[in-house]
Amino acid sequence: MKEIVQMIVVLSVICTICGVALSGFRNMTADRIENQVLMNVQGPKVKLVLEGAENDLIADRKNLSVNDEQLLLFIGKKQGKDWAIAYETVGQGFGGDLKVMVGYDIEQNNLTGVQIISHKETPGIGSRVTENQFTKRFKGLHIDIEIDPNQCPGDIDAISGATYSSKGVCEALRKSIALYPEIRKQALAN
Amino acid sequence: MGLSKEFTKGLWNELPPFRLVLGLCPVLAVTKSAETGLGMGLAVIFVLTCSNMLVSSLRNVIPRKVRIASFIVIIATFVVVVELTAQAFFYPIYEKLGIFIPLIVVNCIILGRAEAFASRNGVIPSALDGLGIGTGFTLSLTVLGGIREILGNGTIFGAEIMWSSFRPFTFMVEAPGAFLSLGLLLGIMNAFSKSN
Amino acid sequence: MEYIVLIISAVLIKNILLAEYLGNCPFLGTSKRMDTAVGMGLSVIFVMTIATAVTYWVQYKVLNPLGLGYLQTIAFILVIAALVQFVEMFLRKFAPPLYQALGIFLPLITTNCAVLGTAILCIRREQTFPEAIVFAIASASGFTLALILLAGIRERLEISDVPKALRGTAIGLIMAGLMSLAFFGFVGVDGSLKALLHN
Repeated sequence: MKEIVQMIVVLSVICTICGVALSGFRNMTADRIENQVLMNVQGPKVKLVLEGAENDLIADRKNLSVNDEQLLLFIGKKQGKDWAIAYETVGQGFGGDLKVMVGYDIEQNNLTGVQIISHKETPGIGSRVTENQFTKRFKGLHIDIEIDPNQCPGDIDAISGATYSSKGVCEALRKSIALYPEIRKQALAN
Repeated sequence: MGLSKEFTKGLWNELPPFRLVLGLCPVLAVTKSAETGLGMGLAVIFVLTCSNMLVSSLRNVIPRKVRIASFIVIIATFVVVVELTAQAFFYPIYEKLGIFIPLIVVNCIILGRAEAFASRNGVIPSALDGLGIGTGFTLSLTVLGGIREILGNGTIFGAEIMWSSFRPFTFMVEAPGAFLSLGLLLGIMNAFSKSN
Repeated sequence: MEYIVLIISAVLIKNILLAEYLGNCPFLGTSKRMDTAVGMGLSVIFVMTIATAVTYWVQYKVLNPLGLGYLQTIAFILVIAALVQFVEMFLRKFAPPLYQALGIFLPLITTNCAVLGTAILCIRREQTFPEAIVFAIASASGFTLALILLAGIRERLEISDVPKALRGTAIGLIMAGLMSLAFFGFVGVDGSLKALLHN
């Protein structure tokens, strides 16, 4: 009996100490990790979407809450003035979620760029939506453009063989544009 | 037995993964390049040395029956520390090593050293044992990664070193190359130690 | 239909042993004889399926709601170790014949990185629960397939004239490399299959 008690006590003491030590360490590194993930995963894409911005996009990010959902907003500045905003929305691709970052010029209300943050599409087929060939077609579109849920806007054709993936990108774009007026208002307000 | 011997045995006599054929998964998986091999090796040195020291200092407190469970908890804690540190400071390497950082916890070398050495010896010899075995492991990973990177990609630590008309053997950086090069290196090591 | 692609992908293309580099210690350790290979393979299928189901539950019902995602590694290894112990006791009590066949392999499975690896991969790939279970069974079957194939080859090697320095693990690794090269031929099959199912 004594042996069993000793076993349980020792094991739980070790577990507790390890748990406490780890949560402390976690708290110390949490901010840095968040920053690193942003810099390495979203950072390069955000830079492409807001090409020409002169500020540190990651450092100037903001947390917004739109329709009760948390959203990370990136703000691009030119000559000290707010110039463009970018945020992420999700569409359904062939393999799963397609996360798409869309940037908007807040003066002209047109798209500064579109980039795919993450996807689960088939390599070599659906994954072609991430290529510049496809994403550059969205640049400069005005937000008033009609987007049919089943189609891509205007003269943008789906990549042949990757119809679902292309539609997923456009679905995310449609959601993104629907949020735009609200987010623009909030971004200008503060 | 001198203390220095505890360190140097890990470099030849008990050189993992060649002499102790243990912990092969990371050896095969992360040696696509010298850089990832080195990164993994350093992570293992840290976990191995720390867990060896802690296990050895607690060796009289932990009851025999729960020793393996306790060792696993201790090792897993240090692995999480490595995971968080890599994520916070070396993100590109963290991404390349991917799932193999959490998998250090099931690397048989570490549990093996805790059980075979640290739970029977003092703190200082255990630390030296961990450092030695870890350094041997790191050297092996870096050499193997270097060979595979040179042949499979024509570079070492990312720097071009082969002549311009060199066509890389792409399969060397894929899974088949990992198995073949490790098998051949093991054979060469065996041949050497036999002739001695 | 998507499950078929998932299974083919996990067994043949991204074979857990030959392409994803997981579980190589038992792969080389238990592939010397056919009967141990079969025993190990079956134990892995058994444990990996249960372990994936349980760790999936732990991740989504315990760790995520509590915001303890960073404790994944430590939680999973403890769950797997406890689970293996439990399975061992259960089999000894209620299924002695099965225990006789698989018993000696069970303790080895705790440190089999294929089990922990599969459990973590399911979470990292954000699979749904049924997908995770199918993936675990398929991965374990792929493991068993590769293990039995290699055991067949190594039994023959016993009676062949292998250079002295290469005997044992070295030639096992080289054989595994050649098998891996053969399995490499399946790369791309999943993509075409998916496209085929799709259109």
